[in-house]
Amino acid sequence: MFPTMNDVLLPSSSCLSPLPRRGEKQNASAIILAGGKSSRMGRPKALLPFDGEPLIVHLVRRLSPLFADIVVVAAPDQELPAVPATVVHDTVAYQGPVGGLYYGLQAARTERCFVTACDAPFLNLPLIAYLLEQITDCDVVVPFWQERLQPLHAVYRRWVVALLQEQLVRQELRPVALYTKVRTREVSPEEIRRFDPEGLSFRTMNTPEEYAAALALWRARRVVCTVELFGVARLKAKVASVPLTLPPGATLRDAFAALAEQIPDLVGSVVTADRQGLTAGYACNVNGTLFTCDPTTPLHSGDSVLILSNDAGG
Amino acid sequence: MYGFHRRLLWVELSSGTASWHELTEARLRAFLGGIGLGTSLLYDCAPPAVDPFAPANPLILASAPLVDTGVTTTAKFAVVTTSPLTGFIADSLSSSLFALALKRTGCDAVIITGAAATPVYLFLTEDRVELREAAHLWGKSAQETAAAIQQEWANAEVRVAAIGQAGENRVRFATLSNEGRHAGRGGIGAVMGAKNLKAVAVSGQRRVQVADPDGVEAFATVLRRKSLGPLTAKYREIGTVANVAVFNRLGVLPTHNFQQSTCEAAEALSGEHLLTTRFSRVHGCASCTIRCERLFRALTGEEQRLEYETLFALGPLCGIADPEVVVRAAHLCDRYGLDTISTGGTIAWAMECAEKGIWPAARTQGIRFGSAEALLSLIPAIATRTGLGALLAEGSRRAAAQLGDEAQRWAMHVKGMELPGYEPRSLKTLALGLAVSARGACHNRSGAYEVDFSGQVDRLRAEPGRGALVAAAEDFAAVLDSLIVCKFLRKCFDNFFEQAADLLGAVTGWSYSAEELRRVGERINTLKKLYNIRRGWQPHDDWLPPRLLSEPLPTGVAQGTRLTATELRGMIQGYYTARGWDAQGFVPEQKRQELGIGNEESLSGVANIWHTRVSVGG
Repeated sequence: MFPTMNDVLLPSSSCLSPLPRRGEKQNASAIILAGGKSSRMGRPKALLPFDGEPLIVHLVRRLSPLFADIVVVAAPDQELPAVPATVVHDTVAYQGPVGGLYYGLQAARTERCFVTACDAPFLNLPLIAYLLEQITDCDVVVPFWQERLQPLHAVYRRWVVALLQEQLVRQELRPVALYTKVRTREVSPEEIRRFDPEGLSFRTMNTPEEYAAALALWRARRVVCTVELFGVARLKAKVASVPLTLPPGATLRDAFAALAEQIPDLVGSVVTADRQGLTAGYACNVNGTLFTCDPTTPLHSGDSVLILSNDAGG
Repeated sequence: MYGFHRRLLWVELSSGTASWHELTEARLRAFLGGIGLGTSLLYDCAPPAVDPFAPANPLILASAPLVDTGVTTTAKFAVVTTSPLTGFIADSLSSSLFALALKRTGCDAVIITGAAATPVYLFLTEDRVELREAAHLWGKSAQETAAAIQQEWANAEVRVAAIGQAGENRVRFATLSNEGRHAGRGGIGAVMGAKNLKAVAVSGQRRVQVADPDGVEAFATVLRRKSLGPLTAKYREIGTVANVAVFNRLGVLPTHNFQQSTCEAAEALSGEHLLTTRFSRVHGCASCTIRCERLFRALTGEEQRLEYETLFALGPLCGIADPEVVVRAAHLCDRYGLDTISTGGTIAWAMECAEKGIWPAARTQGIRFGSAEALLSLIPAIATRTGLGALLAEGSRRAAAQLGDEAQRWAMHVKGMELPGYEPRSLKTLALGLAVSARGACHNRSGAYEVDFSGQVDRLRAEPGRGALVAAAEDFAAVLDSLIVCKFLRKCFDNFFEQAADLLGAVTGWSYSAEELRRVGERINTLKKLYNIRRGWQPHDDWLPPRLLSEPLPTGVAQGTRLTATELRGMIQGYYTARGWDAQGFVPEQKRQELGIGNEESLSGVANIWHTRVSVGG
């Protein structure tokens, strides 16, 4: 019934690539579990309109700056809009999160895999990057929030797929059953609050009411900021400033990506081809005071992101 | 010998004689060329207390090992002398075809001492040294002078560096100009004027050999390619005028004689705006792939090159909001041969003094911020030392000293040199760099602003640790200025000292380590300091104008930011410590020995004079 494990890589130090600097695209996979029944919602959660696009599209777009590889796990016959991700379907439907996790890990192309559900729209990339960093000496990194572990906002080593297969055989459909068998690192609420003080990352939408509330919160927490362009960047863009509306918890990375989307002429020359940062000739300043190109720099409504030459010679 | 001719020409104007000297390998290895070689020669041949306008003050033109090697941006030469503006060392760079021709005359440096009885120009080729009559050129602009000399020789390949009327009239911030470029700061043109030397004309075909042509070409290819990439995009696509708008946004654009760091007219004066409204053409130096020069056109027809410093000094600093006025003012400065930074700085000081009632005569004549008439009338007055210009031709420090204490509060200079267009209160590393710079308020001899803009430090905070950063930036700049490589290429090196050492090795055949090259930078900067000490430098000379240490910034993102005397003193102490100097800023004997400098030997004692020949005629 289940595929063989011939392709599963066991962990070894030699197969682990060095951790990238924070803010860079990670050599890691994101797995989005989209195959739930959505019974309480009354319609497929993956297709709920969110920020002007289907929720699954939104999640893939939000995660793409951080991950080199994204996998969407759908139910056997579930239809999804086109997304720039690997879409896999459960062979056996509705086996709970362990099933989705199993199929996702199997399809993942990297060793470190972040797993999330498709009904959690408030992704916090700096927190996710932090979780990825924590897996150095363990097999699972799982946040502990509101008195419980959060297995669907956690990082897993791909090799644990073998253990999940065994769980499926035994019908142990709760992911936490895995944690006693592997090296598990719990991330404390204090650590989480450094990135996500309210724990919005763990907020899910199971009912129409929760969906409506999430939409309202999203609108209220959107980051409305401005990119100001100077020098060559202004000449190329043909405008001096670009207003941006970014997701809650947005960082400079979101601003660069949104700017690239609005003004594609900047891609390659000012914004890097992967839309994650700025090319070598450019520097960034937030509000005229903070010089930084760290893509994880948080932004707030009212902020101005200045893009200028990185050479101030005159 | 590779990379150098190992020859120095010493021209003595008073007697009309010239002599060729051998440059020792030890000197060239220790100081390279350009600013380093010029500093070394100045130290060895200038009388200790020589008046900058005295015949004995040497004027030194120095070439460098990378010049004429085909490496991009290296067609440059240095001019070094004792500054009539500061009384300390003046070292300036200029570039383009004159630099190539100078080196092709077969000498690495020219020392000019004495003073001619009547105006002359020096004509120099591989086998000819002549002093030519120049009375007919007196009063002409550098451009007109060059054209006349080329016509005289019926040779458009003769390259000419000349002074304008400002130099003839010993305006203390007069420039030496060639091909529209200037050895701009420190009053080099005035030293030439004092020598009755209108111009230096050079023509040569003697190419220097390099030790490893393939190696040099490999470097040249990489640097050429990088020079056309994103690292130089600003210079290639807009030029330095790009600084105006962003500096205003960052609160570092000096305005109204440093009373503010933002300017309401910044967008109208911005490079981005000028490029779309007044652009005329792009120009570049010889042997340069970057081609940073942007020429703009006034409505009255004049075509004028503008750089950021010119735009800032003749625009916001003087309260001028109309780009037309700035273009015309810049044109006048170039025509007369005036350093635009010191011109703008001195006029801005006059405007403030007039507005404050400190200088009634200026107030009566309508000198005030924002007055186009004031700016455009004062420039010729300065160049010809007429009317109010007679006082302003002395520079803001000397002019203020004549008006009294209150006037001195608003003179924005360091060591007598007017400040460039970077606000020190909101660029604290730069503030230190300006305070300790050997040639006065100079942004080019350390480029310390780059630290502030890097995000490496909090630019609004003063910390003692900035001393090491400034010292490192100065040493980096000294090596660039002595190889010579244009600073606009500096970011195209991945690891500058290692790559520059390898490149220098390929040119000269000498084995250099990165550490040795870094030490060359330290040696040059320390020798500059020793020269200044010999000229009477005292610790109070490393300081900033009172305004910067008493007034918080009133506008912009850095509003309220201050720089206190205690903070500055702490940073200066950090700098002296990083340099290995004593707490007062003097150079200990041990440091001199460590660097092998400052032994007070005369040039004639260490060089081999093997040839003497000069003719005077014309």
